[in-house]
Amino acid sequence: MPGTNLRRDTLAETVPEVPNLHRYRLRRTEGEVTSYVGMIIFLGSWAMMFAALFFAYAVVRLRAPMWPPPDQPALPILVPGLNTVVIAASSGAVVLAVHAQALGRHRRASIWLGVAAGLGALFLGLQILVWVGVWRAGLLPSGGPYPSAFYALTAFHALHVLVGLAALGVLAIHARPPRGTTRSAVRLWGMFWHFVGAVWLALYVAVYLV
Amino acid sequence: MSTSAQALAEAAQPIHPPPTSFWRQYVFSIDHKMIAKQFLWAGLLFLLVGGTLAMLIRWQWAYPYRPVPVIGQLFLRENGGVIGPATYQQIFTTHGLIMIFFAVTPVLIGCFGNFLIPLMIGARDMAFPKLNMYSFWTFLLSQLLVLASFLSDLGSAGAGWTTYPPLSTNVGTPGVGQTLVVAAIFVTGVSSTMGAINYVTTVIRMRAPGMGYMRLPLTMWGLWLTAILNALFVPVLGSAALLLLLDRNFGTQFFVAGASAVRGGGDPILFQHLFWIFGHPEVYILILPAWGILGDVIPFFARKPHHWYKGTVWSMVIVTVLSAMVYGHHMFMTGMSPLLGEGFMLFTLLISAPSMVVVLNWVLTLWRGSIRFDTPMLFALATVFVFGVGGLTGLFLADISMDLYLHDTMFVVGHFHFTMAAASFIAAMTGVYFWFPKIFGRKLDERLGKAHFWFTFVGITLVFGGQLLAGYAGQQRRLFDPFQYTFIHGLRGLNRWTSFFAFALFAGQFIFVWNFFRTLFGKAVRAGENPWQVTTLEWTATGSPPPFHNFDRIPEVVRGPHEFSNPEVRRLTGRDFAGQSEVLPGSAGPALAAARG
Amino acid sequence: MTAAPLPERGYGLPHDVSVDGFRVDELIHFTMAAITVIFVVVAAALIWSFVKHRRGPALYSHGTRGSIGLVVGAVALVLFGVDGNLFVHTLGDMHEYFWNFKRAEAAEGAVRIEINAHQWSWDARYPGADGRFGTPDDVITTDDIRVPVGAPVVVQLASTDVIHSMYLPNLRVKQDAVPGTITRLTFQAKVPGEYEIACAQHCGPNHYKMRAVLTVLAPDAFRNWLADAAEDARRAYDPEDKEAHWGWEWRRFEP
Repeated sequence: MPGTNLRRDTLAETVPEVPNLHRYRLRRTEGEVTSYVGMIIFLGSWAMMFAALFFAYAVVRLRAPMWPPPDQPALPILVPGLNTVVIAASSGAVVLAVHAQALGRHRRASIWLGVAAGLGALFLGLQILVWVGVWRAGLLPSGGPYPSAFYALTAFHALHVLVGLAALGVLAIHARPPRGTTRSAVRLWGMFWHFVGAVWLALYVAVYLV
Repeated sequence: MSTSAQALAEAAQPIHPPPTSFWRQYVFSIDHKMIAKQFLWAGLLFLLVGGTLAMLIRWQWAYPYRPVPVIGQLFLRENGGVIGPATYQQIFTTHGLIMIFFAVTPVLIGCFGNFLIPLMIGARDMAFPKLNMYSFWTFLLSQLLVLASFLSDLGSAGAGWTTYPPLSTNVGTPGVGQTLVVAAIFVTGVSSTMGAINYVTTVIRMRAPGMGYMRLPLTMWGLWLTAILNALFVPVLGSAALLLLLDRNFGTQFFVAGASAVRGGGDPILFQHLFWIFGHPEVYILILPAWGILGDVIPFFARKPHHWYKGTVWSMVIVTVLSAMVYGHHMFMTGMSPLLGEGFMLFTLLISAPSMVVVLNWVLTLWRGSIRFDTPMLFALATVFVFGVGGLTGLFLADISMDLYLHDTMFVVGHFHFTMAAASFIAAMTGVYFWFPKIFGRKLDERLGKAHFWFTFVGITLVFGGQLLAGYAGQQRRLFDPFQYTFIHGLRGLNRWTSFFAFALFAGQFIFVWNFFRTLFGKAVRAGENPWQVTTLEWTATGSPPPFHNFDRIPEVVRGPHEFSNPEVRRLTGRDFAGQSEVLPGSAGPALAAARG
Repeated sequence: MTAAPLPERGYGLPHDVSVDGFRVDELIHFTMAAITVIFVVVAAALIWSFVKHRRGPALYSHGTRGSIGLVVGAVALVLFGVDGNLFVHTLGDMHEYFWNFKRAEAAEGAVRIEINAHQWSWDARYPGADGRFGTPDDVITTDDIRVPVGAPVVVQLASTDVIHSMYLPNLRVKQDAVPGTITRLTFQAKVPGEYEIACAQHCGPNHYKMRAVLTVLAPDAFRNWLADAAEDARRAYDPEDKEAHWGWEWRRFEP
C-alpha cells in the first residue's frame, strides 16, 4: 500500500509533556508530498480511462436511433439512487477517518475506515441486486449496445469499489491502536475512494438518470 | 560544507545498504539501475523477434510462395515451409505490435528512463522503487502473453497492429491468439502507466538542489514529457482493449456491426477514435526520448551548448500538448464529417512547426561546433537525417487530398518507419553506445560500432526509401501477394531489392550483438568515470557503473547541462566543459550563491 | 470477357484517367519540390558543418537573437509557404470536387451505384430503368464495375462484415466501407479503358486478392450494356433469394 511504514508521524508520542499536543498536526514530510503527487498522477490516469469509457458510451448512445431501445427492460432509478447516498456517506466516513488519523486518534480512524468499508460493501451488495434484477428482466450483455454499455461501465466501476473497500478494510485493521498506520496511507486510499465516488456520480447521472 | 537544501535532500534520500542475496540483487531488484538492465535485455530480445518477423515479410515479397530457409523448417512445417495468407497476417500484426510495445518502448523508455532519470536529476532512486519493480514484472507478463499467443491453434493475432474491429472481434478473427494479444496490450499498458507515474513524480519531486526545470538535460525533458503522455493516453488504449475483450469474450456489442450486429450494433469507428487518441500520442511517446537524447548527445560531441535550449523545450511541450489533437489524420477515409477532417488536418500541419524548430536547433548546435565523430555521434547524426526524411514525408499524409491517394499505401509504411523505426531505433542505438560505459563500466568497441553504424544507416535509408517509392506508385500495405494487382507488376524489382537491403540491414545488427556480448563478457577496457568528458551529473558526480546509492553526496547543481567551450571555464580549469555541479575555483559556490538569491 | 488493365511502368504515380485527379498530382508534385528544397538546404548546411567544423575550438553561444530569429523565420516561411498552401488548396479540392457529392449527383447523366464490399469481393448494384434500388430490374455485378466516360459517378459504399476500402489508383480516390454505416465516393473518368479496383484496408487473409476491375465505356456502350443487363436481371429475378437483395434505398445525406 502506498506510504505504509512504521514511522510515527504525530508529535504526541515524541513530546508527551506538552498538553493536547495531539491536537496539532505535523507538517507534511517530503515523502508524503511525493506520494501525494504520485497518487494525483495515478488518479489522472484512471480518470482518463473512465473518460474514454464514457466517451465510448456517448458515441454508442448518440448513434442509436432510440435510447433506451424500445424493447429493452428499463433501468431502475431508486436503488442506484440509494447507492449514491451510500457511497457519499462512505466518502464522508473517509473524510472523518483522515481527520482523525492526522490528529493521532488511531481508534477513531480505524472505526471510520471500517464504517467506510462497510458502506462500500453495502454499495456492492445493492449493485449486485440491481444486476440480478435487470438480468432476470432480460437485459443481457449480448443484447446490443445498450446493455453492453450498462454492464461494462457498472462492472468496471464496481471492480474499483471492490479494490477500494478491500484496501479500506485492511487499513481499518492496521489503523488500530497502539501501532496505528500512517497518515499518508489513510489519505492516499481516501483520495482513491473519493475518486471512485466521483466516478459513480457521473455514472449515475449519465447511465441511470438521463 | 553542504547547504541546507542539500542537507534536506540527504535526509529525504538516506543511503541504504545494497542487497546481498542473489534474488534481491539480480531478479527482484528495486534498484532502478538493475531494473533498467532488465528492460534492456527484455527489449533487445524482442527486437530480435520483431526483426525476424520483418525478414519473413520481406522474404514473402522477394520470393512469394517459396519455402523460407531455416524458419520455414522450424515453424511452418505444415505448410511445406511456405508462408500462407493466414500466417502472413499474423506475421505483420505481431511484427508491428512487438516492435512498438515490446522492443522500442522497453529500450527507450524502460531502460533509459529508469537508468537515467534518477542519475541525471541527482537522486538516489525513483520515487517509488517497489512500483518500479512491479512495472518490470508486469511488462514481462505481457511479453509472455504475446509468446503464448503463438501457441494457439488458430495462431496469433492477425488483424494488424491497429487491431481494427470488426476484423479483430471474434467474428473477424476467432481464436484465443488474438484475445491473448489484446490482453497483452492491456497488461503492457498497465506496466507503462506504472512506470509513467514513477517517472513523472520523480522528476517533479526529486531533482537535486539547484536543478531547476530549465537546467534539466534534454534527455530528461524527453523522458518526462513522454511519461506524461504515457500516463494520460495509455489508459485510453486500455479502455479500447478492455471493450474489445468484452466484445470477444462476453458478447457485448461495442464494435460489432454489420451482419452480426444485434439491435443496431456498435460502431467500429469508435474503436478507431479510442485507438488513435492513444495511437497518435504513442508515436510522440516513442520520439520524444529520441529528441531528448539527441538534444544532449549533439552538444556533447560538438562541444557546444545546445542552440536555443528554451526553444527546444517549449517545442517539445507544444508537441506534447498538440499530440492528441491531431489523431484524426489516421481516419480521414472513414467517412468523417469534412469539418472534423479539416480540423485535424489543420492541427496536423501546425504540429510540424515545433518539430521543425527542434531539427533546426540541432543543425545550429552543430554549426561552428568542434565535431567529434565517435560512434554515438554518428548514430545521432543519422537520427537527424532519418527523422528529417520521415517528418517531411508526413507532410503528404497530413493533407486530405494527397491522403486520398496515399492512405494505406506503402508510403505510410515508409513514413512511419522513417520516423518511428528509424529515428527511435537509431536514437536508441545512440543511447546504448553513449551510456554503455556508464551502465556496464566498459566501452563498446569503436571499430565494430562504426561498422554497425554504416550497415544500419545505409540499410535503413535504402529499405524504407524503397517502401516510400513503392507506396508512391500506389502499392497498398499488408498485401500477402502484391503482384495479384496488375498496376503493381512493375514493382517486382523494387520490392526484391528492398528485401535484399533488409536482409543486409538485419545481418548488420549482429555486429552489434557480437560487440555487445564480447564487451560485456569478454576482456574489455574499463571505462573511467567520464570517458566522453561531458557535463551531466551521471558522468561527473558518480562512477561507472554507479554504486547502489548513486551518489556519495547528493550533488548541488550550479549551471545548465551544456556548458561547453566557455572561455572562462577554460581559463579556470583548462578543460572545455564544466560539470553541472562543479564549483569553479574563484566562484562563490552554491551556498553563498543561494544566499545572494 | 476478361478484363485486362494495363500494367504501369513501375515507378511514379499510376496514369491518371480522372477529371479531378490532377489536383492530387499537383499537390503531390508541389510538396515533393518543397521538401526537396528544404532537405537539400538543411543537408548542405549539415555537410558543410561536418567538413569545416571539426578542428579548432567551438563557438561558445547558447543562441543569439539573430540565429533564433533565423529558426523562427525559417519555420514561419515553411509553415505559411508550404503548409498554408497545402491547407488552402485542399480545402478547395475537398469542398468543390472530391467530397462534393451534391453537385455530382445533381449533374446531367450522373450514375449512381451501390457497392457492398465483403470478404473478398465487390458486389455492385445499378438501379436499372426505374431509377430505384431494390427492384427486380437492378443490375448486380461482382468484381465488375462499369461506368460511362465523362459522367460523374457517385458510389454509396457499405459492408456487412469487416472494414474494407475501395481504392481506385488511376482515379486517385479512396473511401472506407464500414459495417453499420454508408460512406460515399465520387469520381469522373475521362479515358475509356480498364482499371483496377483495390482493397485498401486489411480485411482478412484474402485481402490481397480483393481485386475488381473498373471498365470505363463510351456512353452508348454503357447504356446498351446496362439495358441488356437489366433485362437479364429482370428475367433472373428470384424473390425468394434473400441474400441477393442486399441493396438499400439510396441514402439522402443532404437535406
